[in-house]
Amino acid sequence: MKPRDIPALLYVALAVIFIFLPVVVLVQFSFQDGLAPVPPFKGFSLRWYDKMFADRKLMEALGNSVLVGGLSSLIATALGFLAAFKLARRPGRGAPQMQFLLMAPITVSYIIIALGLLIVFNGLGFGKSLLAVGVGHVVINLPLCFAVIYSQMGEHQANVERAALDLGASEFKALIYVTVPMLWPALLAAFFIAFTLSWDEFVIAQLLSKFDVTLPVVIFSLLRTGLNPVTNAVGTFVFAVSIGLVVLVELLLARRPRDG
Amino acid sequence: MAESVVSLRGVSKSYEGATAVSQVDLDIAAGEFVVLLGPSGSGKTTVLSMIGGFTAPTTGQLFIDGADVTETPPAQRPTATVFQDYALFPHMSVRSNVGFGLAMRKVPRAERSRRADEVLRLVGLEGFGSRGIHQLSGGQRQRVALARAIAVEPKVLLLDEPLGALDLSLRRQMQDELVRIQKSVGTTFVHVTHDQEEAMSIADRIVVMNKGCIEDMGPPSRIYLRPATLFAATFMGESNILAGEAVEAAGECTWIKTALGTLPVPGRAAMGEAVKVLARPEHVHVDIGADVGAIAFGQGTVTEAMFQGTHLRLRLNAGPQGAVPITARAAADQSVTVGDSLPLSVRSQNLVLLRG
Repeated sequence: MKPRDIPALLYVALAVIFIFLPVVVLVQFSFQDGLAPVPPFKGFSLRWYDKMFADRKLMEALGNSVLVGGLSSLIATALGFLAAFKLARRPGRGAPQMQFLLMAPITVSYIIIALGLLIVFNGLGFGKSLLAVGVGHVVINLPLCFAVIYSQMGEHQANVERAALDLGASEFKALIYVTVPMLWPALLAAFFIAFTLSWDEFVIAQLLSKFDVTLPVVIFSLLRTGLNPVTNAVGTFVFAVSIGLVVLVELLLARRPRDG
Repeated sequence: MAESVVSLRGVSKSYEGATAVSQVDLDIAAGEFVVLLGPSGSGKTTVLSMIGGFTAPTTGQLFIDGADVTETPPAQRPTATVFQDYALFPHMSVRSNVGFGLAMRKVPRAERSRRADEVLRLVGLEGFGSRGIHQLSGGQRQRVALARAIAVEPKVLLLDEPLGALDLSLRRQMQDELVRIQKSVGTTFVHVTHDQEEAMSIADRIVVMNKGCIEDMGPPSRIYLRPATLFAATFMGESNILAGEAVEAAGECTWIKTALGTLPVPGRAAMGEAVKVLARPEHVHVDIGADVGAIAFGQGTVTEAMFQGTHLRLRLNAGPQGAVPITARAAADQSVTVGDSLPLSVRSQNLVLLRG
């Protein structure tokens, strides 16, 4: 190592510490063997996790999060796939404009989307609910799902689909037996990206839910009564699930496409 | 000629004003091995794609087995395509790939596997059924693509430069295999390539295409030895082309005045018509004494002599002031060196009269 590299390394080290220190502290004090989730660290204990899993409100919220995340991601992935298939394989007129419209929601802040949906849902007569949150999550995740899947639809696969049609498959069968299996990694990646975002999304979940709430909303209400080792445990749990999914997505998308 | 399986009638294709194929008429007989040959952009792949149903003709009609299929999608045509990049289903086993077409035709599973294994044996991949596509080499994938297309027993098998990605020795081997397989299944093959050697070694009939039009078609030997057009002549192999003028008719021949003398060329031309004369390098001889019935083809000075194993390839400057470059061949054991001045000769029956 040359002496002139030292400032650069120092900078990188500081940046990494800056980014990860809060998470490290959160995770560390979720294992705190004491009542105060602040230094000094008194020893290792899983009691807060026990408490978390025993808390009915938290567990209900966990179930709600999984339900909303799972269903909204499934719908966003399915819709994103269909849009990507249409735009990649049968572009036709107005395809660039359509693509722009599909991607546009990504530029709108969640609070604006939440407010808009709130107004629409009130107008339609069905108010704040988990369903409303789910719809909101489909809205924010559809552009991402579309982009991930669209980016993985190459010309080579188009030829493979052509081969299926040539061998007598209907368009629907070619889609089911060839296109979807070939795009499996992209579809799973889109699903898990959407799930991760839904899993820790707070603004829409807070504004559009009432009695049944998701985990981030519960964490927020817990925090209002002050720091508590249980919130650290919940936070760590949410974080671990997110990280796990992100790693899974990385593995799926980084997998070398098999040539052939 | 047997009844034609494929007929193109005045078929054209243009893309936003640019013409890819223009007014093509083509009849392909049952059991024939036809090769569409031409440089890139000649429209050969577009013709294949129109037969397969992937490209709709702008004008004209297309018949397969007597039925107008101009508007029929690929799935309902009795054709199957071997794609240039093979386009195998990467998530399926070799057997599932080969059986895919049969599955789409609702053939029961057991029958499907039996038939897939049978076709795999035909293409020399016996016992490969349960392998994954990614476990195969390029040549093996090529065979799977072929087997997959053959398995549905198409009336017409379309091959889009299927050997393009293979190395030379494998390509030669696959050419022989293709001919063997074609003879054994008896299916009509339509094969696209830009390699004239490949075309000559596999085709029953070559269709030479250029700029969207058919330049010439016929058996390989006829196309090579007596091409119909200047383009076909130069595309099929090395050639010497001399500009000339018809000066006198003499029976089956016409005397053509060229820079290398006045030559009797088979064919007819109007007096005074400007024509071209083709002489293949292997038909230009440098050993005049040994050749009975030869006619003088001027005197040439050797500028290059390359040993090619089977023969010597010579570049010469012939004609007045050495202004006419000629390529000729000499026997491999002949001693020819650069600077030699040699008398050239040709035989009348090897010369070809060309226009354009």
